[in-house]
Amino acid sequence: MLTVFNIQRYSIHDGNGVRTNIFFKGCPLRCSWCNNPESLDPAPSIMFDERICHRFGECLKPGNGAIVLENNNLIINRNLISDTTIYDNICPSRALIVSGQEKTVSQIFQEIEKDIPFYNMSGGGVTLTGGEPLSQGPELKDLLIQLKKRGIHVSAETSLHLPWETIENYVNLIDLFLADLKHLDNDKFTKFTGGNATLVIENFKKLDETGSKFIVRVPVIPGFNFSSIELSAIIDFAAGLKNASEINFIPFHSLAKEKYLMLGKDYMFANQRNIEKSELKFFTEYAEQKGLISKILN
Amino acid sequence: MISDIKTTEISERIAKLKSNVLSARSTICTERAGFYTEVYKEFDGSPVILKRAYALEKTLKKMTIFIGEGELIVGNQSSKLRAAPIFPEYVISWIINELDEFDKRSGDAFFITEDQKNELKEICRWWEGKTLIEKGYSLMSTLNREIHDSGIIRAEGNLTSGDAHIAVNFEKILTIGLEGYLQSIELMQKTLNEKDVRFFEKQDFYNALIVGIKAFQTFIRRFETLSFELSECEPDPGRKSELVTISKICSNISENPPSGFYEALQLTWFVQLILQIESNGHSVSLGRMDQYLFRFYKNDLILGKINEDFVLELLENTWLKLLSVNKIRSWSHTRYSAGGPLYQNVTIGGQTLDGKDAVNELSFLILDSVGRMKLTQPNLSVRFHKNISDEFLTECVNVIGKGFGMPAFNNDEIVIPSLIDLGIKRADAYNYSAIGCIEIAVPGKWGYRCTGMSFLNFMRVLLAAMNNGLDEMSGKTFHSGTGNFIDFNSFSDLMLAWKNQVEFYTQATIEIDTAADLALEELVPDILCSAFVDDCISRGKTIKEGGSVYDFISGLQVGIANLGNSLAAIKKLVFEEATISKETLASNLKNNFDGKEGEKVRQLLINNAPKYGNDDDYVDNLLYEAYMYYINELTKYHTSRFGRGPFGCRYYAGTSSISSNVPSGSVVPATPDGRKAFTPLAEGSSPASGTDTLGPTAVFKSVSKLPTNKILGGVLLNQKLSPSALTNETQKQKLISIIRTFFETLKGWHVQYNIVSRDTLLAAKKNPQDYRDLVVRVAGYSAYFTTLSPDTQDDIIARTEQSL
Repeated sequence: MLTVFNIQRYSIHDGNGVRTNIFFKGCPLRCSWCNNPESLDPAPSIMFDERICHRFGECLKPGNGAIVLENNNLIINRNLISDTTIYDNICPSRALIVSGQEKTVSQIFQEIEKDIPFYNMSGGGVTLTGGEPLSQGPELKDLLIQLKKRGIHVSAETSLHLPWETIENYVNLIDLFLADLKHLDNDKFTKFTGGNATLVIENFKKLDETGSKFIVRVPVIPGFNFSSIELSAIIDFAAGLKNASEINFIPFHSLAKEKYLMLGKDYMFANQRNIEKSELKFFTEYAEQKGLISKILN
Repeated sequence: MISDIKTTEISERIAKLKSNVLSARSTICTERAGFYTEVYKEFDGSPVILKRAYALEKTLKKMTIFIGEGELIVGNQSSKLRAAPIFPEYVISWIINELDEFDKRSGDAFFITEDQKNELKEICRWWEGKTLIEKGYSLMSTLNREIHDSGIIRAEGNLTSGDAHIAVNFEKILTIGLEGYLQSIELMQKTLNEKDVRFFEKQDFYNALIVGIKAFQTFIRRFETLSFELSECEPDPGRKSELVTISKICSNISENPPSGFYEALQLTWFVQLILQIESNGHSVSLGRMDQYLFRFYKNDLILGKINEDFVLELLENTWLKLLSVNKIRSWSHTRYSAGGPLYQNVTIGGQTLDGKDAVNELSFLILDSVGRMKLTQPNLSVRFHKNISDEFLTECVNVIGKGFGMPAFNNDEIVIPSLIDLGIKRADAYNYSAIGCIEIAVPGKWGYRCTGMSFLNFMRVLLAAMNNGLDEMSGKTFHSGTGNFIDFNSFSDLMLAWKNQVEFYTQATIEIDTAADLALEELVPDILCSAFVDDCISRGKTIKEGGSVYDFISGLQVGIANLGNSLAAIKKLVFEEATISKETLASNLKNNFDGKEGEKVRQLLINNAPKYGNDDDYVDNLLYEAYMYYINELTKYHTSRFGRGPFGCRYYAGTSSISSNVPSGSVVPATPDGRKAFTPLAEGSSPASGTDTLGPTAVFKSVSKLPTNKILGGVLLNQKLSPSALTNETQKQKLISIIRTFFETLKGWHVQYNIVSRDTLLAAKKNPQDYRDLVVRVAGYSAYFTTLSPDTQDDIIARTEQSL
């Protein structure tokens, strides 16, 4: 089984053409700015939107004490919930949802198949994202083999924060890697993501050696890497990779704010202003000078 | 091609004319009503066709005419810019009842003086008992009258207006000229044999046609004189020469075929205008303008008589003329066609008979001029086909990006084969054009109202099916049902109940249409419109008597998405999962999901069952099945022209419900899709508001699963895009690619785009004075957003905004 929290058709900001994004759950990193906080836990997550709750009380009915109403406030004790499946579709208004479902390869493929005419016409395909899609179990390979057989183009957004053997396993099945290069400094990387920059850097070099097509993606985060020194270093590194022809900057935005609230999580960027495209002009120009195609995504 | 156009801004002249039309407030003109009443009184005993010919003659000879400052294209509909004429022969009851409310309407207000009110009261007194609506009602059976009054079927538009919904034979008019028509009518009259069983009718018909054409010529000559007189006292030499030119143009086209592009366009406008003085039917359409005007354009361009800038000005002036035509409708009907547009369609693109791309330089100029004007008229339709160039599509998308809902696309790849399947000649099928919003017909050969005559409210029918035939709104059982929902043992019982009811109401719509048809034929035959549609002259018949080559009418169904969603919710939640009991559903439909428990049921219906528009076979197939019961029944009937000349005389389905989804919803109690009582239904074939959560590709897939080859009345799909959608070339190309997929691969029928943000709409609703030029496509046409009634505005705001 593969754990998926969203299958989003008509995705047009994630590579060429019209694409279907498969959002997988689970991630080895804990980036403090993460746009998809519901993706982090490999298991399904309970999300609750107070604004559309009618207090129907259906979620209280299991009576396990995990979800209780105190002074008309819905209290969710996520640590007491071991089996989220009892909450699947329990809420009539969908104020409380279970994000993430286990799906078979064929279930996922069926959804992907639906937009094949649109991929064909637009030069689109599938984008694996998440979470870290490559940290899914071995069935991911079955899915990729099926996609290959049907001639569907596959992109994968990845942190590259994985054992090289895992990545290598997929190299021939992924047409385009959208690989994150968040920072080069190990301390800062660890502080903001809980991970190890060296692993990512080494994997970039190995990926480059395989001859795979990849685009370097840089989330531009205030207080983390949004400085001329740090971003220039990242661009320099990318420019040094022989198969990296393109670099994409993803300026920070706080669209995820509501999702943190719904997951009962703290969000340290809640009051951070968005970075405007215009603030990245220098870096895109610098990257172009270094021979990289440079784009700002939004 | 397009790179040749240097200017992107409209000229000062056009800007001034545009401002004049936009700032002219809607008023009433009583001239036509007065002339028609006088003539009808004078010729009381004469055949109706002659009465109408003389009335038209008197109007065209005596009505106020004027030429606005700077106008290049001339011809006015009434005594003042944007004054709506009154057509008392169709209906007077609502005029009398609403006279004092004209200027107080919450949308589409009309200003009227006390003198005019008194004059109209006097005029209307004479018409009492003589109007179309009275005749129409008298022809309906008591049962059908009750059904009509209940609101399950609405046919008011057919009984309060002329037919129209037609495009006449512009190609022929521009080829033989008015004198050519006159000659061919006189020739036919000469060959008329006294042994002909319709000898007297034909004599009257030809006499009426001759009076009508001559009156038309007189009307044009009045402009010849007026422009000449104006030129005499015009101090500005430039304008003086323009007026002299106009005078010469009018002189020539009053008799002869046009000699060039300017003359051809002026004559085209005169024809378009005259049809809307003769009758107040709307959706009088211009057909394939880029095709029939092209030879004039090309020739003049080679001769150096015109350049692109001048052509743009002429076209733009013509669009302003279209906008100047005004119509007042009853308030109840105004709500069915919000924003007051007249749906004067211009069609461009498409194919030549040999399957080649018919797009030419003029297609680009028409597209660009419409884009530069950003008006609600004309309704611009582009005929898509697989060989259409990306260059032209990109230009279409650029115009779409301006956010006034145009152009709309119709798809040759489905329409042409469907027409050929119906038995339409190949050459005619390849020459189809859009009529009104999205409907289609062969211009100059097709009868009125391909768009349909009466609205059938699918959701009232479904509710009756669940109530053993009882219509709770009227408290009447028009057709006994198969039982009550709570006694149904399976979903198939419900489907059978639906079949039972929808077949009955389908027959009722035909009977009501026929009553309207007969009343229209008898009381308000059109003279000039018949003259310009083949083969009326050779058959000696008006269109309504069976003069047209083809005759097909569509049904009009409202609540397509609601029907599918309701069936899916019942099947899944009541019969399969049993999460909602039959009793619970039934009681909640009656009490409108009252209280917290009711809201819970409603939320389950909304969230736990599949919805049309999400590419889910479960619901899409149910909708197909239910819809086919209607379509199969519909094909059993004929129109009132059957056996009288035209090919066809049959019905097919259609969903061009305009903005009628709002008032149609206002007479429907709560429905099993979780829709609350009296809120809008889904419009056209679009998904219900806010239920299409998977984006445009899923919507395209769902829509294309409908039996689109059988819905020739139009499969209307509106998609709303945020303004950010088309900010760069990549996004535009992606939009083009999904449109191509929808049309080429999925054989979609129609799509059009609203590119507006929700915030803008909310602001416009609050401060209409700041958003006077904001145009919104409402189900198949454009309207000024600020002139829409508040509930229509709310409906637009509520529609799902696709994230492009």
